[in-house]
Amino acid sequence: MPSVSATRTVVSRRLIVGLEIHVELATRSKMFTRAPNLAHPENFDAAPNSVVDPVVLALPGTLPVMNREAVEMSILVGMALHCQIARHSKWDRKNYFYPDLPKGYQISQYDQPLCGEGSHALASGKRIGIIRAHLEEDTGKLGHELPGGLPADGSLVDFNRAGTPLLEIVTAPDFESADEVVAFAEELRDLCRFLGVTEGILQRGHMRFEPNVNLALVLDDGSEVRTPVVEVKNLNSFRAVRGAIEHEAIRQEAEWMQTGRVMGPGAKSTRGWDDVALETVLQREKEDAHDYRYFPDPDLVGVEVDDAWLDRLRARMPSRPDELRARFAGWGLTEKDIRQLLDDPALSRWLREAHGASSGTDGDGYSLTKLLLNNVMKLANGRGCGPVDLGFTAAQAAGVVALRQTDAIGAQSVDALLEAMCGTPETPREVAVRLGVLQVRDDSALDAWVEAAITGNPQAAADVRGGKLAAIGRLVGAVMKESGGRANAKDAQARLLERLKATP
Amino acid sequence: MSTDAPDCSESLTEAQVRHVAKLARLAPTAEEVARDQVQLAAVLKHVAKLQSVNVSGVEPMAQPFPASNHLAADEPGPCLTPDQALANAPKRLDDFFAVPKVLGEGSA
Repeated sequence: MPSVSATRTVVSRRLIVGLEIHVELATRSKMFTRAPNLAHPENFDAAPNSVVDPVVLALPGTLPVMNREAVEMSILVGMALHCQIARHSKWDRKNYFYPDLPKGYQISQYDQPLCGEGSHALASGKRIGIIRAHLEEDTGKLGHELPGGLPADGSLVDFNRAGTPLLEIVTAPDFESADEVVAFAEELRDLCRFLGVTEGILQRGHMRFEPNVNLALVLDDGSEVRTPVVEVKNLNSFRAVRGAIEHEAIRQEAEWMQTGRVMGPGAKSTRGWDDVALETVLQREKEDAHDYRYFPDPDLVGVEVDDAWLDRLRARMPSRPDELRARFAGWGLTEKDIRQLLDDPALSRWLREAHGASSGTDGDGYSLTKLLLNNVMKLANGRGCGPVDLGFTAAQAAGVVALRQTDAIGAQSVDALLEAMCGTPETPREVAVRLGVLQVRDDSALDAWVEAAITGNPQAAADVRGGKLAAIGRLVGAVMKESGGRANAKDAQARLLERLKATP
Repeated sequence: MSTDAPDCSESLTEAQVRHVAKLARLAPTAEEVARDQVQLAAVLKHVAKLQSVNVSGVEPMAQPFPASNHLAADEPGPCLTPDQALANAPKRLDDFFAVPKVLGEGSA
């Protein structure tokens, strides 16, 4: 019988994608032992095989002990994804031999995951179902080159990563485009970073994505066929996630036209992503590679979660990125500014603290954001540090905005004021007085600066007298310079106009 | 490839034995396979006695200890030095365990 694809044409197609995400949790120690965790910033640059201990290496007589923080971080993620948190979960052994797996099995959760069904609403409003999220341990890392790029005779194993807590999140096949998948991946990274559960540095493999992709093809006789599901393994950039899905959408339709193969038992295959050729590549797998013979790990007791524990964790839950986004939009921030704030949880935390110390209006939020992104960040970048490391608190910085709002300091004094605030316990007002940038609302002082500005800029003064009011800017600038920034620009302009008998 | 529960016959099939051997990364000779077809079947038959116990209405039990939540605080402890870690390595290259060439990552 000729295949359907030889006799029918495709009139429309729908992409179907589900996603598995591995998140390396940034606990200080590993999942089942207290050796330092490679995914914690303290250990990012650990030398090969230096953050390992007898448990990691599966030496005889060693036993695993659960890391409380890893369990709690996983529950926080589960809560943020509206998952059912399991009252009881247990640990299972997933058995397979591979050189990066010292025990010959990985401790994982098979049929009783910590987090059950949940959902996440994308910024677009679309709801993505979460099937489960379970906790497990990462494997070691296999390399094929010695440091310095010399090829090695064989493969090289570094067990630093072995035992890092790994949260595996599985979504329902609810995505209909690569855009939706990438949006979800980005939002999930934001979410996990806001929860403080991972550093989320994709280049370091802190989050790895595995989309399951197939197509529903509608044929010219109105019937629908589905192409075999392809799982693309181990993608660690958003660009790779997008590329792999877009490539599969094209490749699978072409393959169906050629072979007529449809989804079904045994039809699923695994592919990798070639970042250079920009295409997916079939990965040859042993036909029995998935015979993992899961069974409960006798070395570990289960996890029981009660209401009191959940309440404590709820109290620890920070704002979700989508809540922050709504608040920032309410302050009148641009999309670009919001994106910058959401990209760096430290910035949002700084702003939250500063806003809490201000009078709390949307206008304060806007002004504080501008202060942070324009002035504070400039100072921090110049010193190669973060905004929290400058030696003044966000609350102190809120004092600078308050001074600006009452015109007590000029815009041109902000940078100098922030710089002088580094490492001092003084209030912004005290620092402003010390620097002499607190604006002077004293008529005789203003008169003197105005006279000096007019004398020093006769042409500009003549222009203003003659009605060319645009020249007033130069005179105001001269007053500000004359006063060392202490004059109030509005007062100066009014006084200049009065003095030159010009009306704006 | 069938991995169904054993039927408690006197002998496993050759394919079943080869499958189990492959999962264990063993390469048995033809004689060993023939021997294991009988011996493994005997082991399974012995363990299969458990299947005669009536467990209807009994909650599955993952492990026998009436305990849960043995959780440690997230405080980093001591590590081995790379030299200690590699002391038992069959082969060492630089500070890595050297193994026969494998392609790709495992399946974590």
